Amino acid sequence: MKMVGAEHLPTDFVDDIKRYKFRGSSGKVNLALDGLPDFKCMPGAGPHLRGAVSISPSVEYMERAYDDAKYGRYSRRPYIDIVIPSLTDPSIAPPGKHVMSCFVQYAPYNLKEGNWDDKREAFGDTVIDTIAEHAPNIKDIVLHRQVLTPLDLERDFGLSEGNIFQGELTLEQLFFLRPAPGWAQYRSPIRNLYMCGSATHPGGGIMGASGRNAAMEILKD
Amino acid sequence: MPHDIIIIGAGHNGLIAACYLAKAGLKPLVLERRAVAGGACVTEEFHPGFRASTLAASTGPLSSQVVKELQLERQGLEFIKPTVRVFAPDSNGQSICIYEDAQRTADALTHVSAKDAKNYPEFVSTFARIGRALSPFLRMTPPDIDQLSKGELWSLGKLGLAIRGLGKKDEYRLLRYGPMAVADLAAEWFETEALRAIVAARGIFGAFAGPWSAGTSAALLLQAATDEQAIARAVFVKGGMGALSQTLAELATRSGAEIRTNAEVASVSVRDGKATGVVLTNGEEIQGRAVISNADPRTTFLKLVDPAEFDPSFLNKIRNYRAHGTVAKIHLALSALPRFPALTDEDSTEKLSGRTHIAPDIDYLERAFDAAKYGDMSRQPYMDVTIPTLTDQTLAPAGSHVMSIHAQFAPYHLKEGDWKSRREELGDTVVNALSDYAPQLKESIVGRQVITPLDLEETYGLSGGQIHHGEMSVDQLFAFRPLIGWARYRTPVEGLYLCGAGTHPGGGVTGTPGANASREIVKDLR
Repeated sequence: MKMVGAEHLPTDFVDDIKRYKFRGSSGKVNLALDGLPDFKCMPGAGPHLRGAVSISPSVEYMERAYDDAKYGRYSRRPYIDIVIPSLTDPSIAPPGKHVMSCFVQYAPYNLKEGNWDDKREAFGDTVIDTIAEHAPNIKDIVLHRQVLTPLDLERDFGLSEGNIFQGELTLEQLFFLRPAPGWAQYRSPIRNLYMCGSATHPGGGIMGASGRNAAMEILKD
Repeated sequence: MPHDIIIIGAGHNGLIAACYLAKAGLKPLVLERRAVAGGACVTEEFHPGFRASTLAASTGPLSSQVVKELQLERQGLEFIKPTVRVFAPDSNGQSICIYEDAQRTADALTHVSAKDAKNYPEFVSTFARIGRALSPFLRMTPPDIDQLSKGELWSLGKLGLAIRGLGKKDEYRLLRYGPMAVADLAAEWFETEALRAIVAARGIFGAFAGPWSAGTSAALLLQAATDEQAIARAVFVKGGMGALSQTLAELATRSGAEIRTNAEVASVSVRDGKATGVVLTNGEEIQGRAVISNADPRTTFLKLVDPAEFDPSFLNKIRNYRAHGTVAKIHLALSALPRFPALTDEDSTEKLSGRTHIAPDIDYLERAFDAAKYGDMSRQPYMDVTIPTLTDQTLAPAGSHVMSIHAQFAPYHLKEGDWKSRREELGDTVVNALSDYAPQLKESIVGRQVITPLDLEETYGLSGGQIHHGEMSVDQLFAFRPLIGWARYRTPVEGLYLCGAGTHPGGGVTGTPGANASREIVKDLR
């Protein structure tokens, strides 16, 4: 819609793309740490910090996190998926320091009140407060933080509406319906214009399959 | 007199199965635990002089094929079809109205939104086309997934061709709609929140789901397959839903079936893996060549049959069959017709004659569901209200009215307290919520009946209080209803069949499960 222009595209296709759903729902908080978080449930450092740390204590917790997003606000207690890559790759932080990368859900692109530029820091505080409930020392060891809102994902990384998968991965937007019914074979209504991103089958996630599949189709043509 | 077939439960599907089986020359005996036949289709007095269709308020609609094949209208059954499908007031005195006539609806919508007025007729015709293509699906016995027979391939092929015949646009719609959240479907068609909520409500009616739950659009497709409309209408039966059961019972009896009330089945007798009859709670044993259960799958398999007759994995799957009731039913005996500020006195009798929808926007519906997720009744429930006395004076004294309220959500599992102690609180909550739309309602209430999900289970035998005999979600439909591998009305016990809403095509007063089941049973017994 932005690069080609609706006037060059068939009406049905334009309608389908207009109704293609993005609705980003996550944010990212990256922390520079002076040490390691100390979790109440498993104190001290150890192998448990080397994989993913999931803040999702119950199904009801995650459902309530979603409830907030349904009505247009970020989760007061979000689901957070944390990794500390510096534990397995010391090259990304100075000696003794750590990087903590937090995937945060939910952070809906469309806020009912206010805008993301005004809410960025409050959102960051919510994430830190939530982690602090499980690892109380977190506030003392944060040297710096980067808060990426869905709006930042759109503006800085080109992800429409901050959707990390280039469009919702719901059944009605998968396989031969991705991104639009009849246009799921990496080709577009414009000859010689192809798509190779997460908005094509099989969708988002770092697997590279969309790129490979698209290349194969393009070679055929 | 020896009986060929014993039918457990005189619900509408059990009675319809009895009619078909008797017409096929078999001798069915229908055993009903209550004093009255009809199951969820009964008319009962709930306040002196006031009668209501206790559970189902209107037909679902009844399959036109069943009506035709059993010649129900010739049996004196009178269907009442109001000119209004849905009247939807908001709490500020505004309202919208969906009429039977699509053009009349579109004209009325022009005052609300030109875009919606333009889209409405297309919405109606789209679902009519898709519904027509899908309708043979309802009368189909779900195929045996492991071993498709030639006949099944043929029927599926025909269905596939019918869908192909819709053309690309509708075909794509059908593919997309199935798994979609109904809130998204409604938003694709309409911009007016009130209209979106009317559409979305049809996706969650009776379900443990909110409009943002995935797969809730499937209910609209099923509805369209039944009567070519996405927005169901109320088709009343003169004398209440009990008159339908009465007619079916008389027809079954005349055709050679016997119906016994106050006859509760305690268990199904099984010998060498084969059903041989039933034992009543009074100890009486009755033999039969086959036993058909109109009870829901959980009751049938977990209560009526010795668990030793089943594979443990089968029992496990049945225990996981979801049947979380979410609906309460409230009947009000009213001394006068309630006044809605959105209506003038002249308007009222027509506009209130169909279904009155209380849920002004999508968020309202979703919040109503939120309460149920966490084990509480909705403070602001979604309500589907009918006033059958506007078109049928036989149900109440002259000038008085009966108001029948389907209130959602009232979850079977409460986090705090139990339904016995919270019944009146539920009644008050519903009346208070409705008073936001009809402020003088309380002044005219002379009697009320509150039916909780627990009552639905204890009095009417609906496991978990689930009005459809099990959640109508895509993972529990068609070849998965009630379980994959057992969706063909037969069960692991030879000679034991299912014929209720827990089989394809599911709940609603359609009669199709009963008709389909009897077709399969006749095949086996001949």
